[in-house]
Amino acid sequence: MPELKPSSLIEVSAKPARKTFNARKHLAHLFLLPAALLYGTFQLFPLITAVINSFYSWKGFSRDSFIGLQNFITLFTESPYKETFVNAFKHNWTFFFVNVCSELVMAYILALIINSRLKGKEFFKTIFFLPKLLSVIVIGFLFSLILNPTTGALNLFLKSVGLDFLAHPWLGSTDTALITIILINSWAGVGFSMLIFLASLQSIDKEIFEAAKIDGASTLKTIFTITIPMTMNAIMTMTILTFIGCFETFELIYAMQGSSGGPYYSTDVLGTYFYRLAFGSVEGGQAIGLGSAIAVVLFLIIACSTAILMIYFKRKDFER
Amino acid sequence: MKVKRFLVWGLLLVLSFAIIGCSSSETSKENTDKEGSDAEKVSEKVELTMYSWRPEDREMYEKAIKKFQEKHPEISIDFQPYESTEYNTILSNALVSGDGPDILQLRPYSGATTIADNNYLLPLDDLTGIENINKEYLDAAKGSDGKVYGVPLSLNSGVIFYNKEIFEKQGIKVPKTWDEFMTVCEKLKKNDIIPIAQSGRAAYLLSMTHAVIGPDAYGHNDFVDKIVSGDANLEDPKFVESVQRMKDLEKFFPKDFIALEDNDAQTLFYTGQAAMYINGDYRLATIEGTAPDMSIGVIPGFAAEDGGELAVTTWVDGSYAAAKNTKHPEEAKLFMEFLASKEFGQIFTDESDRLSAINGVTPKHPIVKEISAAAAKHSTPYLMLVHFGEGEPTTKTTFENALQGMYLGKLTVEGVIDEAQKNADRAAKE
Repeated sequence: MPELKPSSLIEVSAKPARKTFNARKHLAHLFLLPAALLYGTFQLFPLITAVINSFYSWKGFSRDSFIGLQNFITLFTESPYKETFVNAFKHNWTFFFVNVCSELVMAYILALIINSRLKGKEFFKTIFFLPKLLSVIVIGFLFSLILNPTTGALNLFLKSVGLDFLAHPWLGSTDTALITIILINSWAGVGFSMLIFLASLQSIDKEIFEAAKIDGASTLKTIFTITIPMTMNAIMTMTILTFIGCFETFELIYAMQGSSGGPYYSTDVLGTYFYRLAFGSVEGGQAIGLGSAIAVVLFLIIACSTAILMIYFKRKDFER
Repeated sequence: MKVKRFLVWGLLLVLSFAIIGCSSSETSKENTDKEGSDAEKVSEKVELTMYSWRPEDREMYEKAIKKFQEKHPEISIDFQPYESTEYNTILSNALVSGDGPDILQLRPYSGATTIADNNYLLPLDDLTGIENINKEYLDAAKGSDGKVYGVPLSLNSGVIFYNKEIFEKQGIKVPKTWDEFMTVCEKLKKNDIIPIAQSGRAAYLLSMTHAVIGPDAYGHNDFVDKIVSGDANLEDPKFVESVQRMKDLEKFFPKDFIALEDNDAQTLFYTGQAAMYINGDYRLATIEGTAPDMSIGVIPGFAAEDGGELAVTTWVDGSYAAAKNTKHPEEAKLFMEFLASKEFGQIFTDESDRLSAINGVTPKHPIVKEISAAAAKHSTPYLMLVHFGEGEPTTKTTFENALQGMYLGKLTVEGVIDEAQKNADRAAKE
C-alpha cells in the first residue's frame, strides 16, 4: 500500500504545523502593535477624554468638578441649547437625505453610463473624480466666489442669459443656503462614490446581462432586477459612509458660512454647534463640558444609526 | 519553539533599547539643564517668548524690541504671532500644558477675565506706568478679583468712513446727528449711490454697525452705567430704539447684503458705488493700502441733538500680560513696563496708525489724530463687547445672529431684543 505513507506523514506533521501557525498568529499581533498604539493615542484616547470631560463642569479651559449627567440634561432641556440642538440635528438629516439623492443616486447613474459602451470612459472618470483632489477649504473658497451675489459667476451667467429672476443670494438666504452647500458637497464627493459603484458594476458577470437580454428584459428591468441587487454591498457601504459623513460634516460649512452656521443658524449642524461650544468665538464663550457632551451624543447617534443601517442591509442581503 | 524564543529575545532587545534610550535622554537633559543655568550665570542672557494674534505687526514689534534692548541688552524677545482665528486655541493649549509663553496677548474683557481667573497670570497692579492708563481701559484686562492682569495695547474705535469726493459732488455736509445722517442717506439713495457699504455674512459686522449708530439712541454712558448697575436691561425702550435704527438702515444697505463678505462691501466703497463704510478704525490701513488715491473722511459718532457732544465708541482691542509660570518674572516685568511706557505707545501708534491706550501719545496720522482727539473728549464703550461678552454662547453673538435673522425676515425688532435679553439673563445665572 504505497498510498498509506503520505497520509501517515501528514498526520505526524500535523501537530507542529499547527504550532507554527499559532506562533505566526501572535507574531502578526506584534506587528499590529504600532498601528494599535497610534490608533489608541489619536482615536481612543481623545474619545475617552471627551466622554470624561462631558461629565465635568468647566471653568474656562480648566476642568472643575464632577457633575454627572448635568451637561447632557442642560443640552436637552435648557434654552437656547435644546432649540439649537434640534435645529442642527434637523439640518444633519436634511444633509443626509439630500446628499443620498444628489450624490449617491447621481454617482450610480454616472457609473451606469460609464460602465456602458461609452467612448472616453477614462476621461470622464478622471473629470468626475477631480473635485475630490481639492481640499474642502479650497472648494469652499471657490464656491464662495462663484456664488457671490454681485460679482459671482453664477448670478452673472444667469443675468446674461436673461434668467434674472433666478439670480439669488444663494448663501445669504435662509431658504437656499443649506441646500446650496449640500449640492456643493455632493459635487465634491460624486466622483469617489462613482468609482466605488463602477468597481462593483464591473464585477458582475457579463453573462447574466446577456442572458437577460436573450430573455427580452428591458434596460430598466435589467437595472432594477439584476444590477442594483448585485451591487447591493457597494450601495450599503456607500450609504453608511454617506451617513457618517453627513453627521460629521463641518469643514465645508465652516469654510463657507463660519462657525455660527449663518445666516441666522440656517446651515448650523451638530459639527458647527459642537465647535462653537467647545472652542467659543474670538471673544470667548467657551463651554468645553457642553461641547464634549455634544461630541458624545454625536458619537452615539452615528454608532447606533450605523449599527441599525448595517443590520437592515445585512437582513436584506440575507433575504436575497 | 524557535519562533517563540526568537520573539522573547526580540522583545527583550526592544525593551533594553527603550530603557537605554530613556536613561540616556534623561542624562543628556540633565546635562543641558546644568549647562543652561551655568550659561545664565555667566552672561545672564534671558529669552522671553511673546505670543500675539497679529502677524501683521511683526515689523512694529521688531522696532520696539530693538528700542527695549538698548536699555536691556541681556533680554531678548522671541515674538511668536499666530493667526487670529487660531490664537485662542493655541494659547489655551499652551497654558494648560504648562509650557506657555512668558508674555501673552489677552483678548479684551471676558476673554482676559477667564485666563486671569484660571490663575495663569501675574497681577500687574503695581507695575510702573500702569497709572498712565485710563481706568476704563484697564477694565479690559481685569480678573474677577478686581486686580489688573494686563497692559492694554491698543484702542479701537467704531467709525463711519466716508468718501469725501462723493460728499462734495453731492453737496453733502458731514452729518452730526442721526437725523442728519438719515437725510444724507436718503439723498444718496435718490442719486443711485449705495449710502452704506454694509456686509452681513459675518454677523459681527452688524453688531459693529449697531455699536457706531446706537449709542446716542440709548443715551451713551448713562445707559451703560444703568446696565452695569442692573437698573436697566436690553428691553429698555431707548435700547429698542437703537435696534429699530438698524432696521431703518436696511434700505440704505446694498442689495443682498447678508450674502456679502466684508471684502465685497469694501470693494463697493473703494469703487465709489457706496459712499460710506462702517467698521473699526483699524480698517484705515487696509483702505489706504488698497485705494491710496481715495480721499476719505471719518464720522466718529453722533451727538444726541444738534450742537451736542458726540461720543466715540471706543474699546480696548488687546492687552499684554505676563504668565505666572514664567521662569523669568523680573525680566518679564521689565518688558511689561516698557509696553506700558509712552515710548512704546508712540512707536505703536506711528508704525500701525492705530490708537494707543497709553495717555499722552499723539498719533501722526491726521485721521487717527482726529478720532483720538474726539475720543479723548467723550467716549462710550462697545456695549455688546464690553458688557455682554459673557455666557456660552455670548449675548453679543446671540444679538448679532438675531440681527441677521431680522434682516432675513425671521425676527422682528422685538424678537431680536427678546433673544438677546433672554441670553443675558441666562448668562448672568451661569
